[in-house]
Amino acid sequence: MTDLLQLLLAGVSVGAVYTLVAMGFVAIYTVSGVINLAQGEFAALAGLVAISATGSGLPLPVALLLAILTVVIVAAVMQRVTIAPVKRMTTLLSIILTLGVSTALKAAMLLIWGPEGHGLTPFPGTDFTLAGVAVRAQYLWILAVTALTAVAVTWFYERTLLGKALRACAEQPTAARLVGISIARASLLSFAIAGLLGAVAGVLASPVYFSAWDSGLALGLKGFVAATLGGLVSIRGAVAGGLVLGVLESLVAGYVDSGLRDAVAFIVLIVVLVVRPGGVLRQHSVARV
Amino acid sequence: MADTTNPPTRPARGGTAGRRFAEPAGFAVFALLLVVFPLLAPETVVNVGVYALIYGIAAIGLTLLMGLAGQVSLGQAAFFAVGAYGQALLVTRYQVPMVVAALVAVGLAMLVALLVGVPLLRLRGHYLALATLGLGIIVTVVATESDYLGATSGLYGIGKPEFGGRRYDSPAEYFWLLSPVVFLALLVARNIVAGRVGRALGAVNDSEVAAECLGVNTYRLRLQVFVVSAGYAGLAGVAFVHWIGVVNPNAANFPLSVEFLLMSVLGGLGSVWGAIVGAFAVELLDEGLRSLIPTLLPGAVGEVQLIGFGVVLTAVILFVPGGIHGMWRSMLARLRRPAPGIGRRVVSDEDDSPLLARPGRPAPGTPLLEVRDLVRRFGGVTAVGGVSFEVRAGEIFALIGPNGAGKTTCFNMISGVLAPSEGSVWLRGERIDGRKPHVFARARATRTFQNLQIFRSTTVRGNVAVGRHLRSRAGLLRGALVLPARREERQIHQSVEETLALVGLAGDADRPAADLPFGRQRLLEIARALALEPDLLLLDEPMAGLSGGERRELARLLRRLRAGGMAVVLVEHDVEAVLALADRVAVLDDGRLIALGTPEEIRHDPAVLAAYLGVDDDEALTDEALTDEVTRAAARELANGDGA
Amino acid sequence: MLTVTGLGAGYDKLRVLHDVDLNVPDGHLVAVIGANGAGKTTLLRALSGLIRPTEGRIVLDGRDVTGLPAERIAAAGLAHVPENRLVFPSLTVADNLALGAWTRRRAHSRTAERRERVLDLFPRLAARLDQPAGTLSGGEQQMLAIGRGLMAEPKVLVLDEPSLGLAPRLVGEIFGALARLKSERGLAIVLVEQNARAAFRVADEVVVMDRGQVAATGTPQVLARDDRVQSAYLGGGYAAT
Repeated sequence: MTDLLQLLLAGVSVGAVYTLVAMGFVAIYTVSGVINLAQGEFAALAGLVAISATGSGLPLPVALLLAILTVVIVAAVMQRVTIAPVKRMTTLLSIILTLGVSTALKAAMLLIWGPEGHGLTPFPGTDFTLAGVAVRAQYLWILAVTALTAVAVTWFYERTLLGKALRACAEQPTAARLVGISIARASLLSFAIAGLLGAVAGVLASPVYFSAWDSGLALGLKGFVAATLGGLVSIRGAVAGGLVLGVLESLVAGYVDSGLRDAVAFIVLIVVLVVRPGGVLRQHSVARV
Repeated sequence: MADTTNPPTRPARGGTAGRRFAEPAGFAVFALLLVVFPLLAPETVVNVGVYALIYGIAAIGLTLLMGLAGQVSLGQAAFFAVGAYGQALLVTRYQVPMVVAALVAVGLAMLVALLVGVPLLRLRGHYLALATLGLGIIVTVVATESDYLGATSGLYGIGKPEFGGRRYDSPAEYFWLLSPVVFLALLVARNIVAGRVGRALGAVNDSEVAAECLGVNTYRLRLQVFVVSAGYAGLAGVAFVHWIGVVNPNAANFPLSVEFLLMSVLGGLGSVWGAIVGAFAVELLDEGLRSLIPTLLPGAVGEVQLIGFGVVLTAVILFVPGGIHGMWRSMLARLRRPAPGIGRRVVSDEDDSPLLARPGRPAPGTPLLEVRDLVRRFGGVTAVGGVSFEVRAGEIFALIGPNGAGKTTCFNMISGVLAPSEGSVWLRGERIDGRKPHVFARARATRTFQNLQIFRSTTVRGNVAVGRHLRSRAGLLRGALVLPARREERQIHQSVEETLALVGLAGDADRPAADLPFGRQRLLEIARALALEPDLLLLDEPMAGLSGGERRELARLLRRLRAGGMAVVLVEHDVEAVLALADRVAVLDDGRLIALGTPEEIRHDPAVLAAYLGVDDDEALTDEALTDEVTRAAARELANGDGA
Repeated sequence: MLTVTGLGAGYDKLRVLHDVDLNVPDGHLVAVIGANGAGKTTLLRALSGLIRPTEGRIVLDGRDVTGLPAERIAAAGLAHVPENRLVFPSLTVADNLALGAWTRRRAHSRTAERRERVLDLFPRLAARLDQPAGTLSGGEQQMLAIGRGLMAEPKVLVLDEPSLGLAPRLVGEIFGALARLKSERGLAIVLVEQNARAAFRVADEVVVMDRGQVAATGTPQVLARDDRVQSAYLGGGYAAT
């Protein structure tokens, strides 16, 4: 029983990280129909920047802020340089463009931080044991911050005019333009939001799951799978998807074979998409008469 | 900044006469280069060349998949690994001779692709791309976890190839050994691209719905190309394993898939030639970066050349979306003569004889299409609320009505593009609603589109050739080996010429379809539909955007088709033209059929006039003065005739 | 308020509009009628900036707005109520209206006031403020789309076939509201309609379009008896090539 609880805790904790990444996918996709293959790299980059910052003596809160700021800027620059200039975005183009950025970012991280993984200093708090289950303080941070973030993001999209304007862009781009909303600026904002979410995921996860130049790949793809479970357009769906995936992964790794952990996400993806084909079709998908 | 709105995503087809000579010359030059390269280049470069050839084979496959079928695959390395592992196992553990093992290994890769492709290829765009990525990860995981496959160390001890007592173990020798393989691989790919399958897939890329309506079974074709592409990757894996001697789980890793992608994109997604050029370019880039980076940044370790890959990938797609091949073609285009001007339309003004009669067609007057109680809802809105009519062979049937009446929705249901919410559609007595459009096409019913769906990436001739898809049979295999398909291609060419002459587009045959003026593009769509030899032709607002003269020509063409026994259904806004042309007219308003009869009956129907000009609720249908005015005006127009 | 001279526009290869002139003073309603394919929708899209004119000028309240993107023209005071309404389906009626005031969002206090005026014009919407716009009936969505356009207090309102798919009673209500907007608020209105009869009742001037050009202009009384209106609808104009 304690094994199960332990696995569940670990699963929910990693699932929360996936949730944050998944929300980043949703943020961009809902506004511009782009799937950002560099989303995982946002998280990895944030972790590494934070590690360097604390390593050079900066206090943790400052380091976190610096990391988040860096990634938000990178995300904004990415949108301006690679996405905004393209007049007619197709699926093929958006995949290749974001893939290119993702690859370049990965290699840049390799160059700067080397091939090994590093762990950020855990956030303040003591680990303890409850009912035989080892609870790391970091888990609680992850869960708490993710919960808060999810609430904040939901509040943003559902209660603020700006958030509603972003949703409007996705639902009816023509009408959005006619009321004066600039789709270009909306897209930029959505990337900044995605950068923020990815960065938070990265710094939260780093003490437990380690950051390395290539940790973005697995994280990004699992975040995508989680977002897909919610149809790529729903924040609530992303939350549910992330938690479900995290728990599933943890259970498989614990009870079946730990080497199969990474394969779980993709089997889930394939099963879900084939059973519910195509996901939710949005207006932004490549037009077919 | 180059125009990134339309990166060429498929191999160019249907070129001018000059290209017929260019192709064999190109291959000859390529063969020569392959022979000469190891003699002239220094050993390190030849070594790079070997990798270029090995990976180039996989890149060709990927270009076929991405350029031709328009599907992004981020898992090409997965099949590469299957081929490599398969070969390694067979040769080291089971002592199977190299060539036999190669055939089996490639077959294995193709089999895996088939199994995986059946569910995966129902996905589109991002989902397919990420699912293929997942495939790569699954293969890596399987290879890592399996002791049979050597776990993390993999398999080793695969020897260099030996033929006739000679071991091919120097770079130059291996290069020459691979050359004929690569040459053949390229040849086969080129044939696929240039043949019926390539044409069909290119059409799907341009307009999937139009291709389906011409009879292309998109799912099956995509699956076929997916399997072939995997075969190429597997072959590359075989070549790899005999050169390196070792295979481990890294063979399926993501950066390798990215590298293949880069080769395709850099070489030009629109060209299988580009794949080879791209492979050389990327390997040289790789080599260059590996030497350069340590000198610039001494501490750098690991796969840092990826940074170059990422930057090049993004930059190419943003600034030179056609890749190297695209640049080559623009250079050539600048050197070539300017494109011929608009050809004269050569249609005999006097010819009213019947057109495209077909012996197997039902006799004139026989019901061909039957629509029963058709209903279509979108959410809470009922766009079509119970429409029934029939269309007979040898008649022109018009569907008219004000904006929002449901004409296009009806049309889409009787051509297979939409499934009805209720009701049924019958074609020659067979129930056909809800089936995919290519099934309609097989039953000899096809259509044109209100917002044109011409295939922009090919010529006029190329467009019409797709119309012959169902009248020809060469599949992937026959198409790859040119000889058996050659006769069929000649027949197709012949029919295309005839069809073009029919509508007067013969002079424009080799022009890119996208360059035609709008009216001719409409004609092109019709010609393409006629190439299918349909019994039922559905035209969605064919008159829109045509000049008066062009409308008259089109009306004459339709009358000739009717005389040949075809059934034609028209949706039109040009009511006057329609009333002059049609045998029977159905009028829709607000999703319902409000009138059905001859043009004369319709012209005098007050309900029709009310529908078009609008009715105020407190003035109902009683404004006779206005109604009379309209009728008189219409009668005047008729009396003036259409020659004015 | 709105003056258009020599306007030409189209899509890709297809030139749709040729040399269109239009003049809409304050407090006037100009109806643009004609058969489908005549270019009416293209005209509105060129006015609101969704497509760039290829020639001609558009002057809005003294300011040359030719070639500006849609977002800027909306901010300059032209509201376009598009064909098919295009409300934001998952957002509530209140949200749709609030977004209508996007270009004036800094003036928070005025927003509530403007909303009241919209609800006064379309009382049906008041009962549905918290409903997702996608669940409204066609007529209510049309009212919402118009209300949304009004929230930015535009100087010019252009509407694309508001009567499409609506029952005559609702058409009457909506056109009644347009008449009020014209007289009470002095709005300049361009109304594109296929329902010529209803349009004639509220129009001060009628412009008949045929194949991308202005075929006739005049008051409703005069044009109702004009052959050109009938032929523009039934397509008789094609007799002359």
